[in-house]
Amino acid sequence: MSVAGTLALAAVESLAVAGSGSVDLLSTGLTTTLVGEAADWEFVFRNADYLGVGALLTVVLTVASILLGFVVGFPAGAVEVYGDGLLKRTVSAVGIVLRGTPIVVILIVMYFVVGVPQINLGVATVSSAMTAGILGLGLRSAAYQSQIFRATLSSVDDGQLEAGRSIGLSRFEAVRYVVVPQALRRSIPGFQNEFTIVLKDTSIVFAIGLAELLTRGYDLFSEQTTAVLEVILFISAIYFVLTFTTNRALDRLGDHYAIPEGESA
Amino acid sequence: MSDGDFLRVTDVSKWYGDEQVLHDVSFEMDRGDVTVLIGPSGSGKSTMLRCVNRLAEAQEGSIRLDGEEVLSPDLDVNDLRREVGMVFQGFNLFAHLTAVGNVALGPRRVLGLSADEARERAEAQLERVGLADQLDSYPAELSGGQQQRVGIARALAMKPKLMLFDEPTSALDPELIGEVLEVMHGLVDEGMTMLVVTHEMSFAREVADEIVFLDEGHVIERGPPDQLFERPEKERTGRFLERIASHD
Repeated sequence: MSVAGTLALAAVESLAVAGSGSVDLLSTGLTTTLVGEAADWEFVFRNADYLGVGALLTVVLTVASILLGFVVGFPAGAVEVYGDGLLKRTVSAVGIVLRGTPIVVILIVMYFVVGVPQINLGVATVSSAMTAGILGLGLRSAAYQSQIFRATLSSVDDGQLEAGRSIGLSRFEAVRYVVVPQALRRSIPGFQNEFTIVLKDTSIVFAIGLAELLTRGYDLFSEQTTAVLEVILFISAIYFVLTFTTNRALDRLGDHYAIPEGESA
Repeated sequence: MSDGDFLRVTDVSKWYGDEQVLHDVSFEMDRGDVTVLIGPSGSGKSTMLRCVNRLAEAQEGSIRLDGEEVLSPDLDVNDLRREVGMVFQGFNLFAHLTAVGNVALGPRRVLGLSADEARERAEAQLERVGLADQLDSYPAELSGGQQQRVGIARALAMKPKLMLFDEPTSALDPELIGEVLEVMHGLVDEGMTMLVVTHEMSFAREVADEIVFLDEGHVIERGPPDQLFERPEKERTGRFLERIASHD
């Protein structure tokens, strides 16, 4: 929304500056500015499959990065809450570095400095740019997700852990069976944010040459410069549908696992 | 007086940092005894109770339970705790589990019962505390008194040989205290060995075999309820009992 909105506003402003013409001309111009020329929409729809491939790449990058972020970030958050010594210090330090580094830098380091290899999955080969993209976005997401889980794990009352220990559960078991189920429920709102952020940040993989949704949009309006607004509106709509549906799905998940009469998840 | 062949607490001392909260506390229990720890808040009675199942660590002294040294560094605390049930002042029910889920967790995960066996045992224990009609309720859906009865059932489901009660009625509205005390009365009648921290003096008087009065971490006086309530030997005991009585 913000990109399209800003562009539209800029266009209206420039029109107003130039606008010495009649009110009629201004209103026609406004309509054109906000919805675009029919010919340019036709251009967008003609290239919908090109953008569709980009959208698919965006989805794959998001899902893979979020999963990697969860698999690494959840244990990292648990170590920050329950761990001690060198392990805990190492995990927090790595997290601070990852959260403090711009995502472009992380991606460039992964691709050009670390030089991750391509991965052969049998059915398909994941290019080294793709691997670097997933690793970069995934590890950064892990650093953020670790903080979501650190917060929710430590938000569960100590009495819960103590009660678990009192019936003879080990510390690990008490965390696993008593604290984690409650912490995960409380993690859903933070996780929704993280999901949305990762989805939109996938566009930054253009820095390592991956043509996801936004990059492909950029390619298109470079080709037909009158269609900037139409292309931007179109891909914004795709981003919106993706974020809206996944957020609603996570809302549903939260409702499904909500504790009756308890705090809402 | 007990000869302490079941639980023998000897000269237990504990510090939090530089502050000593227990000073050479000693008392004994036989199997089937009910001992009530009383004393002003901050006197160390809850801490003493928690040392028995090692939720708190005593630094000095000895606690022998059924011939085994509880304070031994070699002891597996999880083995100890599966035999010593605990009921908390704040209930501490697992918020994400139903009443049955709360009670079944220990049998399932600690004792290794099948899901069906664990549920069966949980249902039986909830029936025992009068909650057969609330099996699938979540803690937040239950009254305080019901929650505490689930807490008792959760501890009982492990078939403990000793039950620890840490101010089980202190967080309850007055009208809900009765139902919890009733369940505890039932346990006394069944011969359960119970170590209880409470401010419910009439309950203590009715069921206790021995009362231990603690103040500032010291055992000031102990003895059978009649003696302690009617003819306290120490002035401090008398003053405490008067203060409590004036609130009743």
